[in-house]
Amino acid sequence: MITTEGFWKSIILFTLLLAVIFIILRFTVLKRFKNMEKTMNITTNIMLAIGVTYLLYRVYHALPEGAETFLFLNIIFNSIVQICVLALSTTAIVLIFKTSTTTNFAQGMIATVGAFVAAKVIAHLVSVYTEMNATLVVLIAMAVGALTAFLLGVLIDVFIIRKAKYPTPIGKQMITMGLVLVLTGLIPIVFGTLPLIVNKLSYADNIKFTINDFPYSITVHAFYALLITIALLVVLFSLLRFTKWGLGVRATASNELVASMMGVNTRIITAMSWGIAGLLGGVAAVILAPNSGAIQVAIMLPTQVNSFLAAILGSFSSFAGPLIASIFIPVLTNLMSLIATTWQNAVVYIIILVIVLIKPSGLFGKPTAKKV
Amino acid sequence: MTYQVEKKNKRKQKFESLIHHPYFGFIIIVFLMFFVQLIRLLGVDVSVSILRAFGSTMIFTIVALGFSILLGYGGLASLGTAGFVGLGAYALVYFTNTFPISIFLTVLIIIIGAIILGTVVGFISLRIEGMYLAIITLGLSEILNEVFKRATNITGGTTGVNIGGVILFKDVISINHNVVFIIISIILFIIMVLTLNIMKSPTGRALLAMRNSSSAAQAMGVSIFKYRLLAFIVTTVYAMLAGVLYMTYWSFTIPSTWSLGFSLNILVAVVVGGSQSIYGIILGTFMIFGLDLSVFKQIDFFVANPGITIVMNGILIIVVVMFYPGGLIKLVNAFGIKIKKIFLNWIKKWKEFKYGVDS
Repeated sequence: MITTEGFWKSIILFTLLLAVIFIILRFTVLKRFKNMEKTMNITTNIMLAIGVTYLLYRVYHALPEGAETFLFLNIIFNSIVQICVLALSTTAIVLIFKTSTTTNFAQGMIATVGAFVAAKVIAHLVSVYTEMNATLVVLIAMAVGALTAFLLGVLIDVFIIRKAKYPTPIGKQMITMGLVLVLTGLIPIVFGTLPLIVNKLSYADNIKFTINDFPYSITVHAFYALLITIALLVVLFSLLRFTKWGLGVRATASNELVASMMGVNTRIITAMSWGIAGLLGGVAAVILAPNSGAIQVAIMLPTQVNSFLAAILGSFSSFAGPLIASIFIPVLTNLMSLIATTWQNAVVYIIILVIVLIKPSGLFGKPTAKKV
Repeated sequence: MTYQVEKKNKRKQKFESLIHHPYFGFIIIVFLMFFVQLIRLLGVDVSVSILRAFGSTMIFTIVALGFSILLGYGGLASLGTAGFVGLGAYALVYFTNTFPISIFLTVLIIIIGAIILGTVVGFISLRIEGMYLAIITLGLSEILNEVFKRATNITGGTTGVNIGGVILFKDVISINHNVVFIIISIILFIIMVLTLNIMKSPTGRALLAMRNSSSAAQAMGVSIFKYRLLAFIVTTVYAMLAGVLYMTYWSFTIPSTWSLGFSLNILVAVVVGGSQSIYGIILGTFMIFGLDLSVFKQIDFFVANPGITIVMNGILIIVVVMFYPGGLIKLVNAFGIKIKKIFLNWIKKWKEFKYGVDS
């Protein structure tokens, strides 16, 4: 049995206790330090760590006795697909934010176009090459869909975002918003109204294994999805770290004008970022699509909201932070669904909100100094 | 002779001062709305969808006006609008179904709640800025949306909730949509006057200063704390009031109306119309919320292909933002000036033709 008695009470009381301790510390001990901001920062980090640990501890103890580890790990294994999708789309959004300083609302829609193309390709391949391996079919379709999304991203940057007369962050946001409308209207016209289906990567039996005498299982689809995601992210991060393009992205992110004056071709870098973001989104959409039967136009919308929150929780200024946040959010959501049935999303959003209020620059971000 | 000319001039001046009065346009708009409602009551066949389009345009104009004070004057982008409007709508349902109190008292309670909520969001905005604030308010809106979905005993869950009638003084009376339409137009007029006065007052100038540079504004003695809270309070009060009006006008709501899409639509309406002009906002709101129902639904081609209207709307937004950052109202003004020039030119030519050229 899951015991939720006194769970929320203790969480709220503990949070208030931490807040009171922090305020007392702030006005008694901390103000004596020379480097006050730095010490304050360290203190908030410690407090946050204590708070999150306490939350996890309470959740762990609310679970039925003897099976805590089993449920805990099971939830992590069950949310692999969600984690993969969220990680890919969050990375895409952060990439575009870094190079174009705008939040791309069309990210989900571009990804959905990729999924629709993939579904068309699957239908074609299945009807023409009947003997082909099912996994290979989906992989080919995924590649085609992701490439379409890549091209779409590049085209949007080259022909729309770059041509804008006076681009401000909010103006660019509006343009992506308009793109959402255009794509929403165009998808049914281009792909027809018949339901299209993306197959899972594999329908083989679940992979079963035991840890400490508890049986666990992962679907093969999730396993492949995890492999693809890890491969893509490793390639992307090594590109960012070790190539000239990656250096250019980092330079553009810190200051576009200065980067272009230093000989960085910011146009190609921005276009490539939009393309790669589209590609990541396309892969994410193809992984997510089989979970809900026929593809809907709004399939990526919840993911998109979550990835904005993950990006802000992990801080836009780093790539690793949003990645950790996008693991944290689905796991926490599924954990909370055990304790607060049907209210899990609201609870998780509130937790994220509180964390961001405590640390406005995100969990892993450095506070930026503002220029006057 | 001179006396008559003087009198005529005086009358002309009086007329012109009336036309150039800032409220004149608002009165014209409200009278137009009255007129549409009136000819429908008199039996002229005005289709319901046109009326509904005007009704929702007016309701959402209230939201957009509040948002323009936040975005156009305060420079703060928020994506939490949908949650606040929905909260207003559901609050009305809750109070009417639970407590037998007058609707005036209910609205008062809702406004007080809106002020508290606006203060809370204002405090958040002191800590977080820019795009981050937009996403945090989006999170807030999502929390509210989850509440609308999950608190099934109050909100009816995803299937939505109906409002049977409102309590005017003691008894429940059923809602007459024609009366509600007129009430909405009167409230819209009041809100427009209020917004104009906020915009053109020291408050509006302080907000503008804050938008351009918060540090410079602070250096000149503008209290960021005060004006940010004020901007958020105004926005929230307008939004929740619009929620109440929405509920009385449509008497039905579902949670999926109040999702990210609605907030983005309001943002688009304000930016595309022209974020600092009241007429621009009305134009933008009509384009987003009213055009589809009132114009496209009347043409058979668009009824057969509903996707095309969305695509056209999207293209319009992209083109306006790309090439006319000042908004549609700038475009309309420029167009008006051009037409005026052409017209004057014609008059000149006609005079030349009639009386001959000066030599």
